[in-house]
Amino acid sequence: MEKKLIIIAVVIAAIVVVGGLSAALLLGNGSKNGGTVYYVTLPPKDMKAALAGGTVDAYIAWEPYVSDSVVGDVGDVLEWSNQIMPNHPCCVVAVSSSFLNGPNGINLTERFLKAHIEANQWMVDALAHPSGANYTSLVDMAVQFTSRNATVVEAALEHVKYGYEMDQNFRNALKQFTDMYIDSNMTTATKLQDRGYSSTTDFINKYVNGSLLAEAASMTPSSAILNPSNPIRLGYLLGDLHQLAQVVAQNSTLVGGKSMFEEYGLNVKDATGAPFANGGSEMTLGFAGGTVDMGYLGAPPAILNHLNGAVNTVIVAQANSEGSGLVVKANSDIHDLADLVNKTVATPGESSIQFLLLKIALDKEGLDLKIKT
Amino acid sequence: MQSLTKSLSRLLVSNWFRLTLSAASTAVFLTLWWLFSAYLRADWPFQGVTPSPTRAAEIPYWWDVLRALGKSFAVSSGNPGELLMSEHIFASLKRISIAFALAIVTAVPLGLLMGRSKNAEAVGRPFVELFRPIPPLAWVPIFLIVFKLFWGPIAIVFLGIFFPILLNVMLGARSVDPVLIDAALTLGAKRGTIFSKVVLPFTTPYLMTGITVGLGIGWMCIVAAEMLGNVGGGVGYLIFAANTTSQYELMYAAMLMIGILSVLTTGVAGLIERWVYRWMGMR
Repeated sequence: MEKKLIIIAVVIAAIVVVGGLSAALLLGNGSKNGGTVYYVTLPPKDMKAALAGGTVDAYIAWEPYVSDSVVGDVGDVLEWSNQIMPNHPCCVVAVSSSFLNGPNGINLTERFLKAHIEANQWMVDALAHPSGANYTSLVDMAVQFTSRNATVVEAALEHVKYGYEMDQNFRNALKQFTDMYIDSNMTTATKLQDRGYSSTTDFINKYVNGSLLAEAASMTPSSAILNPSNPIRLGYLLGDLHQLAQVVAQNSTLVGGKSMFEEYGLNVKDATGAPFANGGSEMTLGFAGGTVDMGYLGAPPAILNHLNGAVNTVIVAQANSEGSGLVVKANSDIHDLADLVNKTVATPGESSIQFLLLKIALDKEGLDLKIKT
Repeated sequence: MQSLTKSLSRLLVSNWFRLTLSAASTAVFLTLWWLFSAYLRADWPFQGVTPSPTRAAEIPYWWDVLRALGKSFAVSSGNPGELLMSEHIFASLKRISIAFALAIVTAVPLGLLMGRSKNAEAVGRPFVELFRPIPPLAWVPIFLIVFKLFWGPIAIVFLGIFFPILLNVMLGARSVDPVLIDAALTLGAKRGTIFSKVVLPFTTPYLMTGITVGLGIGWMCIVAAEMLGNVGGGVGYLIFAANTTSQYELMYAAMLMIGILSVLTTGVAGLIERWVYRWMGMR
């Protein structure tokens, strides 16, 4: 009798323990204590109208789509991307592996990077002297490229950091993005290994190629065009101020009647399909489709599509850091991230860096990010 | 249970040849798919035959697609929107159902009116001819702003379903045999009776054709409708999002799901058709 009582007591205790653990697991898998913020996917060019019309309560995008709302009194910036992650890399220059390994590919890539370096140096100098003629030229180029007015462009340029180097901070950030993608199952460690990388560190070390940039520094101008009948097909995103370097490098008024690309012996033209709506499209339609040789795009979509889709590219330079913002409606009652609970935020897509930055920001506040249902 | 088994056996026996043809064509298709994927990857039997595999991920093996399909029902992590396939299906079915219902209540009365009245046709024809050829994709940015995130995608699917139903009902209403109407008049039928007893039954087969075609187009519109800014995901959204992240097995799995859902909804439409005919005493 005693034995039976002990057995019954043990069984009841086991049921209580298992049941309690299960309940904790189930309840614990719900949203974080802070609440849930909802997202939808919209192209940045439609975000201002969506905010103004009340379709969304906020959006996160790259410049000039942030300043477009602020200058237009439609929105206020809740957080700049450098407040979420200081000095975060954003857009990069990528090259198709088949182009790089093709005839004269390395030489052409290095010359392209030399023009990219010079364009960056010219822009940084122009931005440091706002009363100078170069600044006025830069704003004019940006106005044409983005189809926004000078006020919007000038406001936007204040928040973008142009640069081309890929230092350890750059590499660490890209590794962090890759780890986030693996943690959220948007890619897997198996796919990483299938592509020939042993770890995320190994992946970043191989996928980010700094040697071409180092060689590019010593490139000298060329009097002849080296690829007259095979232009480099250039990809870039629609109106993306982060990629202004390619606009500057293509401008034919800055270097005695020719562009910086031509100065270094390059024939460059827009790729079929450019400008692309986002980095994911540039990778899948452009690089994978074989219509883009070199392109400016966000680092995260480059990483994700290389690992998932075996899109054979290599990152060869940075294009910019920071320069994105989380915008809420002007004079709204949203004053901090916690006020976004149960609200809807538009993002450019799950493969975009803006989506990752939003996730990072909300994670820090203990908030969930889920698709709007 | 026994009678069901007997009926199934009889069905299989009487249709064995056609079933064999269908099975064989499916097997050929799957074999060609496998060979194409293997060729791109330089896998067996193409090892050493093809150049180094490039762009292989865009054409996964068909079994990887089926595996991704199965996994998408069980695991949400890694799926765009972190939703299960069932949740994406529910979102799409909700959109198609609402759009379909709206299309029926607008297209059928309009089609009957335009089919029976030359004046009504003259009023409506310019708008039909102007808006019908415009692809639904063109309306996405405008509808999202005007109709917002919930109704915007529904409006796009509605456009896809509306016009086939409208045009088929118009055609049916216009094609009513005048002899039948004369006969009804001769028997003393009033306009309302002629409409309900002659025009409506005559138009029903045309309506059903319009529904079948409209549903097919509606599913084709779902990708455009759900591409951007929709609420709650959807199978079309899954295709678009999986494409931008190069999750190709999942993308093909979602495409396969649209095909299956289209077949199922068309099958339901067929059942409704049979019920309507029975109710009208037509078959």
